[in-house]
Amino acid sequence: MTTSETAATGVLERTAQLVDHALRACEAYQRADLAARLRHARRRLYATDVHVVVVGEFKKGKSSLVNALVGTDLCPVADGPATAVPTQVRYGEQVAAVLLREGEPPAREPIALEDIRGHVVETDAGSGSTPPRAIEVSLPRRLLAGGLVLVDTPGVGGLNSAHATASLAATSMADAVVFVTDASQELTRTEVDFLYQVREMCPTVICVMTKTDFYPAWRKVRDLNQRHVGTDFPIMAVSSTLRSRAVAAGDKDLNRESGFGDLVAFVADRVGVSAAKRLATECAADVANAMDQISAQFRAERATLADPDAAQRIVDDLAATRAQTEALRGAAARWSQTLNDGVLDLTADVDHDLRSRIRQVVEDSDDMIADIDPADSWDSVETWLQSRVAAEALANYTMLRDRAEELSWEVADHFRKASGAALEQLAVHDPSRLAAQAGEHKDLDLSKMKVGKQAMVALKNAYTGGLMFTMLGSLLGLGLGPIGLGIGLIMGHKGLRDEKKRQLQNRRNQAKNSVRRYCDEVNFVVGKDSRDTLRRIQRQLRDHYAALAEELNKSTAEALKAATDAAKTTKTNRAARLRDLDAELARLAKVRQLAGVIAEGTA
Amino acid sequence: MTRPIPANLLDRTRAALNRAIGVYRGTADEPQLVAIRDRLDEPLRVAIAGRAKAGKSTLLNALVGERLAPTDTGECTRVVTWYADGHTYRVTAHVADQPPVQLRFSRDDGAIEIDLAGRAPEEIDHLTVIWPSQALRTTTLVDTPGIGSLTDRVSRRSWELLAADGAEEEAMPTDAVLYLMRHVHASDMEFLKAFRDSEVSRPNPINAVGVLSRADEIGVGRIDSMASAQRIASHLTLDPRMRRMVQTVVPVAGLLAETAATLTEAEMERLRRIAKLAPRDVEALLLSTDRFRESMPELGLTRIERDVLLARFGLFGLRLAAAIVRQRVVRTAGELARELSERSGLVELRAVLGSLFFERRDVLKSRSALLAIDALTRTRPAPGSEATAAEVEEILAGAHPFSELRVLTSVRAGWVTGKPAVIDDLERLIGGQGVAPHVRVGLEPDASPQELTSAVHAALERWQIRCESPMTSREMAIAGRIAVRSCEGMLAALTGGGRGE
Repeated sequence: MTTSETAATGVLERTAQLVDHALRACEAYQRADLAARLRHARRRLYATDVHVVVVGEFKKGKSSLVNALVGTDLCPVADGPATAVPTQVRYGEQVAAVLLREGEPPAREPIALEDIRGHVVETDAGSGSTPPRAIEVSLPRRLLAGGLVLVDTPGVGGLNSAHATASLAATSMADAVVFVTDASQELTRTEVDFLYQVREMCPTVICVMTKTDFYPAWRKVRDLNQRHVGTDFPIMAVSSTLRSRAVAAGDKDLNRESGFGDLVAFVADRVGVSAAKRLATECAADVANAMDQISAQFRAERATLADPDAAQRIVDDLAATRAQTEALRGAAARWSQTLNDGVLDLTADVDHDLRSRIRQVVEDSDDMIADIDPADSWDSVETWLQSRVAAEALANYTMLRDRAEELSWEVADHFRKASGAALEQLAVHDPSRLAAQAGEHKDLDLSKMKVGKQAMVALKNAYTGGLMFTMLGSLLGLGLGPIGLGIGLIMGHKGLRDEKKRQLQNRRNQAKNSVRRYCDEVNFVVGKDSRDTLRRIQRQLRDHYAALAEELNKSTAEALKAATDAAKTTKTNRAARLRDLDAELARLAKVRQLAGVIAEGTA
Repeated sequence: MTRPIPANLLDRTRAALNRAIGVYRGTADEPQLVAIRDRLDEPLRVAIAGRAKAGKSTLLNALVGERLAPTDTGECTRVVTWYADGHTYRVTAHVADQPPVQLRFSRDDGAIEIDLAGRAPEEIDHLTVIWPSQALRTTTLVDTPGIGSLTDRVSRRSWELLAADGAEEEAMPTDAVLYLMRHVHASDMEFLKAFRDSEVSRPNPINAVGVLSRADEIGVGRIDSMASAQRIASHLTLDPRMRRMVQTVVPVAGLLAETAATLTEAEMERLRRIAKLAPRDVEALLLSTDRFRESMPELGLTRIERDVLLARFGLFGLRLAAAIVRQRVVRTAGELARELSERSGLVELRAVLGSLFFERRDVLKSRSALLAIDALTRTRPAPGSEATAAEVEEILAGAHPFSELRVLTSVRAGWVTGKPAVIDDLERLIGGQGVAPHVRVGLEPDASPQELTSAVHAALERWQIRCESPMTSREMAIAGRIAVRSCEGMLAALTGGGRGE
């Protein structure tokens, strides 16, 4: 466990050093724009959260598992249905807890660690203040130091409920999912279905079976479960009780018995290290790109100095490239058009998809209401409707996510085609190119990848993590409201049978109307939410590529200026300047090569 | 015991059935009606239902006091099985449209092993196990496969048994249901709703009791698990959704209850050995099931003995039993069995079953029978069946016990609303917590007749005033009049003497 933790932090450390090198270069050559981007990348290196979401049927020991992982009694463990709001556990120098209340932006309210229980545990509605949305806890734990965030999801309502759909939505942005079940019985059909649904949303899933200390037949249950899910999911058997005791008593044997070693290794190795590597690669790509842009200006100058006869041609070429990068800026650029048109289309498609889904829900619920008496099963209709609507909203959101991803790749592609040509042109006359050839192939991939990865980062920011949670939360708050019951009490006489029928019809109509009102509201809420999300995506992508276009433009301008100035340099100064330039280029090439190594080592 | 139920309810039902049999004589429905009539004289039928692995068979064994139904970690009950009292030991299989077939069975390791003679479980409608047993004399218990099990067909059997869909089909084959749940699930709620029927009441908390089985799991085996389970059960009983579907919720540690009912002296001896250890060592030994199996060889228990102990008691049972044997003056297996039975919640469950099911068995049985006739007259009318339907209707609408049940369900469904204390009083008076007079007026079982009479008088007066008050809602007033009648009935029984004990 220590080795993997150092592996994760080691990767991040090396990358941070690389960025520091590159930053010094940017400052030395007065490229504040590039420096700003690198500083941002460096911050992200340490500030990016790696979300591990803990899900499962209620009362399976999710909270105990989180507590045992971090070795603190944090998430309340109650014998009744417990956790009602998601709890995030992240790294912090100090132990602290913050309660986030519903609102835009959410109100943050520091609370004492001991009070978490009071806030997290399911409380009856109508307590007055705005409902809590989430709890954030910071803990100084080594396991969390790499940016790991453990998210304990509410188990309220079980896996069939709308809450479960909300958890599922939360897993879509997770880096890994820990599915919790316990050794009391085999996985149920609902659980198995949920597992496979989770895998659709997030590919890294493990199944953890808790309470092995209590159930004598846990080995048998584990084997049965493994048979149910085949090789699709690894199953780890653990005991949170033993682990907590072991941590408290420093008992190594007991810790081994608790089975937590494997789980910690999974979280730290497979999740932590791979996330660290991904971040490092993204960062290295940023560095490589910045170095390329700075080198461009020296290469142009060098080319002109080395071959004065070709000076005019080089200047002409650079002027042409300049015109090209100029075209990347502004609304007329092709990538920008692709983005704007794409978002427009997508908004229309997503909206249409949502409407047809909701229409289907209304039809289905009409059929259902026709078969029942709302007087006695109205609350089950409500539960059904909420969970159905949540599932449809999630499907709609998944479509939005997938299509937005496609769009961002398309935009990336268009941008790369336009800018890639410019970058290559900048390097055409570079005699030092051969010297740097070793890293050349890798470099190309790096810049390509950079553009794409960035788009993903932009997307992730636009979704803002638990968005779906909040949105579904507001859906759950809607409710259907009561319906009039009519009398129908006490009398059992046949003469009343017609009257009863009439009342039943009346109740059914009321019920159908309620469902329609609810669905209208859902259309409104979800529709607005997806339009907002798309608008955010559009803005993020636009800002991102616009900044890149500015940088490129500045780099070509600098290169052009350097080439023009170089043409005027006297013969005597030329040799000295050439030596300087080679040294500068070599320095830059070295940083760039380091970036290549990091990207390669972690890819 | 006083009987507030008119003695003639069963007789009236029987008379109605006889007339119905006359109407349907010679038709395909006659045998069914005859079977319903016979059922009036048979023990009350109580189904034990719940999701897979809720501990249904274990609880059945605990209630019978013998290990009859096989229990295992995997799913084991695959066929609906009836356990009834009789003179000989016999197992028969009932297959649709065929005469019952007698099956061979063996009983090696406690539980009965039935040889299905090459039949697939899906083919068999249900099995009947006739077993001479004191506990089965008054109640026939029906074990069901779990709902929500991974094999669809197994669970469909239970649905068919328990969810006979309202008026469209035959009446339910069982009179009352114990619904076992480990924790409340959305799908549990669905399941409970299957017990609705159309006429006497809808959704129906009359004939269902919730059991928080495997209560020891709720605190994951902590020694205070039962207290914790009790809290949750009380909380659940207050949940309006739950109130609409079950009368009350009782926690039971099923495994412990089963073991307590069948505890042996040899097991007591082994427990003594554990209890002799120092408290610290006991804690270390019982830290986890693996530790119990493998550590402390000096205990002098073989691996097999330890496994058997674990299987019989569970970790919670071992912790509890060890603590009891150490602290208390429990000398014999019998004393320990009583103590464990009490602690497991089985005693409490028996009391609840007694007051909610058994004391009103005549009402429940009549109700099942009347509903069956009602359904039949509506789906397959025959010449003269209208008169039968009217008669059934008259009994259902007129008999006071049914009015009480209707008020009870109306209250539970939230149709009658009021202050919690008033609602509580109303529910008690109409027999919501048991039909014995002392329960209805909230006195101890040993209350004297004078105390009872004055308490009933007070209740009568209270409710007469409430019914006449213009502030009382219409629904409450209707419900209140039923409560007044209940009081009058009790007074008649108490003072008239003739119908009393």
